Amino acid sequence: MTTVVRRLRAIPTWQVTLGIALLALGFLIAAQLSAQGPRIRYTTQERTPLVETATELQRQQDDLRRRVTELREAIAKLEEQGVGTTQIVRELNSELEEARIAAGLIPLEGTGIVFQLKDSSLPVPEGADESDYLVTARDIRTVIAELWLAGAEAISVNGERVTVSTGVLDIGHTILVNSAYLSPPYEIRAIGPTDILDQLGLSEGWRDFIQTRRGTFGLDIAFAEPPVVAVPAFAGSLTLRESRAVPSPSPTPAAP
Amino acid sequence: MTRSLRAPRSQLLVAAVAFLLGLLVVVQIRAQSGGDRLATLSAQDLTLLVGNLNADNDRLRAEIAGLERQLDTLEVGGTRGTASIAEIRGDLERIRVWSGLDRVAGDGILITVRGPISAPDLEDVINELRNAGAEAIAIDDVRVVTGTVIGGTPGDLSVDDTPLADPFTIRAIGVQESLTGSLTRAGGIVAQLAATNPNAALDIEPTDRMTLPATDRDLVPDDGHPRL
Repeated sequence: MTTVVRRLRAIPTWQVTLGIALLALGFLIAAQLSAQGPRIRYTTQERTPLVETATELQRQQDDLRRRVTELREAIAKLEEQGVGTTQIVRELNSELEEARIAAGLIPLEGTGIVFQLKDSSLPVPEGADESDYLVTARDIRTVIAELWLAGAEAISVNGERVTVSTGVLDIGHTILVNSAYLSPPYEIRAIGPTDILDQLGLSEGWRDFIQTRRGTFGLDIAFAEPPVVAVPAFAGSLTLRESRAVPSPSPTPAAP
Repeated sequence: MTRSLRAPRSQLLVAAVAFLLGLLVVVQIRAQSGGDRLATLSAQDLTLLVGNLNADNDRLRAEIAGLERQLDTLEVGGTRGTASIAEIRGDLERIRVWSGLDRVAGDGILITVRGPISAPDLEDVINELRNAGAEAIAIDDVRVVTGTVIGGTPGDLSVDDTPLADPFTIRAIGVQESLTGSLTRAGGIVAQLAATNPNAALDIEPTDRMTLPATDRDLVPDDGHPRL
């Protein structure tokens, strides 16, 4: 025993340091390889300018969305100020506020739930479809649909408000929501009743989703129920090129 | 003598390993930061992404131009002391039409769905229409709005609890060429459905002057409140 201790003590410090460093190195190489596992990296020459263009366009989009939000806030403020003393303007402003809330143009907060979805860390078996082990647009759409069924009133995905025009799209192994390019992990926030989790549990579709996507393919699906869930406003465009309003059976207040 | 030679060599070795370690830590952190996710896309996917971002940025610029005009008009009205009732009314109409609170008319496409289609497949069709820039959608006489969910089993579907017969229709207002092109492109939703569910079929027809109903749903939340 004492011989073993004496031998251990005889090992030079640099060898111990080297040993620990090599261990860490091995761990990092393994982590790097597993992170690259299911995703193919392309290194063709035409990609570099495309990646740069996409990054630049995404940056422009962030600026444009910020500007849209600023302008909408400024307009809402001016409209409220208007000639707020007249009955007609007060009524119109009240309707406008309600319509903006209904359309998702105003940030909301309330009770609810937050989900986080991450790609599976399970090794992809040989011959299996690697996309089964990644979070896909259909996964996001399923969670959104199940949340609506469970009573959600407002939903966002990584800060993108889900509205009447929201499309959730796969491009390669990435996901676009409201045309914004999102990176994992995907955080889905929903404002809804306090029993929203119980309501989800009652849904057969939700149970199937959890069993298949988490149980079989190992997607990392976590949730939290913070006291207040905040959902941002929609910052995209209200495109109406082909549409025109038809007089509604429920009339808006008439002009004096 | 041996000892003096071994010491620098060991230091070099530790330095080399430390360098490699540092390099890998940086690579790993950058790979996990998300920005590197573009590196996983093929040139074809990147082209699609760039096209999508370009189209959306154009829409956002048009939106900004409209909002700036609206803001100018409101500011001029404010300085004159006149009510901008027409502006407020116009804004209200636009938001109500867009969100589905009011009826809407316009050109677009009429899709007739025949055969037993599944709820996720029908959700995919609606999602594709949204991605193609549909401005308003209705399934039979139910306006598709925020929170609309398709449920049920193939042949027994419902939308917002309204049962769908076989066949049923989807009407979408928008640029006809974009909507049709998006659905019928190679590898698009029509081709995918034909491959996975040959018993279901989508007939697509450009149709002018359609009128879509307003939603019956109450879109104002009870549990959520405006964040101040």
